[in-house]
Amino acid sequence: MRILVVEDEPRLLRNLAKSLREAGYAVDTAETGDDGLFKALTYDYDAVVLDVMLPELDGWQVLEGLRAAKRTPVLMLTARDTTRDRVRGLDTGADDYLVKPFDLAELLARLRALIRRASGHGRSTIEIRDVVIDTRARTVQQSGNPVSLTAREYAILEYLALHRGEVVTRTALYEHLFDESEDTLSNLLDVHVFSIRRKLGADLIATRRGQGYCIES
Amino acid sequence: MRLPTSIRWRLQLWLAFLLVGLLSGFGLTAFQLYRTNRLNQIDGELEQRLAAVAADVRRPPEGPRPLPGDRPAEGEPFRRGELRPHPPFDRGPGFPGFGRPGEPTERWLTNRTIDLSPATRALFDEADTNGFYYAIWFRGDLLLKCSTNAPPDLAAPRHGLGGRLVRAGFRAANREVFLGTEIGDCVLIGRPMQTDLAAMRRFALWLVVAGLAVLAVGLGGGWVIVTRAIRPVETISAAAARISAGNLAERIPVRESGSELGRLAGVLNTTFSRLETAFAQQRQFTADASHELRTPIAVLLSETQTALTRERSPSEYRETIEACQDTAQRMRRLTESLLELARFDAGQEAMQREPQDLAGLARDCAEAIRPLARDRKITLHTDLAPTPVEGDGDRLHQVIINLLTNAIHYNREAGEVRITTTVTGDVSVLRVTDTGPGIAPEDLPRLFHRFYRADPARARSQGRAGLGLAISQAIADAHGGSLEVESRVGEGTTFSLTLPAIEPAVETG
Repeated sequence: MRILVVEDEPRLLRNLAKSLREAGYAVDTAETGDDGLFKALTYDYDAVVLDVMLPELDGWQVLEGLRAAKRTPVLMLTARDTTRDRVRGLDTGADDYLVKPFDLAELLARLRALIRRASGHGRSTIEIRDVVIDTRARTVQQSGNPVSLTAREYAILEYLALHRGEVVTRTALYEHLFDESEDTLSNLLDVHVFSIRRKLGADLIATRRGQGYCIES
Repeated sequence: MRLPTSIRWRLQLWLAFLLVGLLSGFGLTAFQLYRTNRLNQIDGELEQRLAAVAADVRRPPEGPRPLPGDRPAEGEPFRRGELRPHPPFDRGPGFPGFGRPGEPTERWLTNRTIDLSPATRALFDEADTNGFYYAIWFRGDLLLKCSTNAPPDLAAPRHGLGGRLVRAGFRAANREVFLGTEIGDCVLIGRPMQTDLAAMRRFALWLVVAGLAVLAVGLGGGWVIVTRAIRPVETISAAAARISAGNLAERIPVRESGSELGRLAGVLNTTFSRLETAFAQQRQFTADASHELRTPIAVLLSETQTALTRERSPSEYRETIEACQDTAQRMRRLTESLLELARFDAGQEAMQREPQDLAGLARDCAEAIRPLARDRKITLHTDLAPTPVEGDGDRLHQVIINLLTNAIHYNREAGEVRITTTVTGDVSVLRVTDTGPGIAPEDLPRLFHRFYRADPARARSQGRAGLGLAISQAIADAHGGSLEVESRVGEGTTFSLTLPAIEPAVETG
């Protein structure tokens, strides 16, 4: 999952990026509205965390610009918590709203829910035959037994599971699982998929040669 | 009994008191006049009849006059004009030589018949008079003659009359007058008064009914007038209640701005407007203050919660703690500024009054700020003439530093900042001019508002809360001076700190 954080307070931005990366997300950051809107329009993020008070373009303008082109889920962050502000945020097209100061756990939970809803899943666990993926705890069980996956392996599995029945291209996987700060090798993806197959069975993830990967529905 | 507290009911009560008082006074007077007139009229009629009867009684009958000591023949008439006066009989029956019983005159007097003249009889004609009756007594209790319609309980007056007319007034329901003649006769004329008394009662009843009607109309009219009079008050009261309930934007509708209540409504509306503005400012200030505190708290929470999710290396912990410390410092600066403003608002911030030279202070501040200016490649010019003022050196220093910091922060790259001091008339002026982008005219009025920032996001990331100018202005005000701003977009901004000069320019010059 790849997330864009737009926040002008440098410490908060750095810290949010850090905790989101620790939670297994690929994170891009932007300090100004302009930069944020450019990135949000350029890449397909799974979610955008958007501060309202930004230099240059403010959060509302970024949101309007983004909504004109994309349906990327947006979580607004703001220090103003009047009902009017919240209504305005939700009406402009924000998917969720969080008032500063917030708890990190809540921000993460809301992000998970946003991403889940955007991919059409209502629950926090995904079941594929005998494999159960708990997106909240980021754990995987097979026939009731916990299976240990690395963060990257889990991210690939979760992304494929959320897009079950679709063929996910290698480019899409790269876009959603690695952020701009990472330098990745293309065959690394194959290594991770090979590792997942070794742990959960070879037939869970199918390879569509020349297209990408797929978890059959 | 508790009096009603509503003005409407109190006015009604007073009106009722007033009306009842006036109407009873009027009614009683009218009744009294009517009754007096009626009785006077009746008494006049009674007296007219009394005079007629008395004249008939006094008229000597035909016939020879019995002389004292004589034995006049039976039926011998007196001669006209020879009746001698009879003393009042209350002088005692044994008056010497006169009136003793058994004497001829006395017998005659006792046995005489009194004939009323036809004119007099007509006065007592029962067919067309109101039942006037008469009675004539001799010597108190001897009834000589009485009319047929006289009431059976007639009684001679108990005391002597002696030729006097006595208005005896009422006996039961009859009006009667008496006259005692010189020879001891007593004439009574009476008249039954039932019909007159009934008429009086009817009149009284009519007065009461009319009074009640007037009272009802008066009270009704009073109610209408009072309702109309207090309707604006109720409107004001209702509007004030709604405003008090929280709707500060509400105003009292003013219909007649010239009337007393219209003026009151106008004054109240002005007050409500000022209250609303004050509340709005207070709300804005609180919202801004909490907003300013939310971001650092978000940083603190986020930093600490991230650090606590797992074991960290000592360097990571150190980084977190440093971040927390910086954030806490920022919050401290903010709360100190807020407290400072609160003290200025409460008038608790005491200014020291010492002679100062604004030029000297400006020179110190310019030196202190030079490193910052150098960092941003900004040239600092000074043009300082001695400007003696009275004030708090530390506070004025704070103001000048704030103005210089703003001038450097909001300047263009490699811009200029000019600081000048002059004395003009009886004021000392310090000006700080920058070559920045200037401030749009619509933003100028808000410049000194708390938490106002030309570019909110950039200023905040630089750790400034937008309280500096508000505090500077509060300090200038506390010195009896002012802080003003002029700006041209694209050319730059000038802040002028004006303070009263301690000596007139002529003397120092």
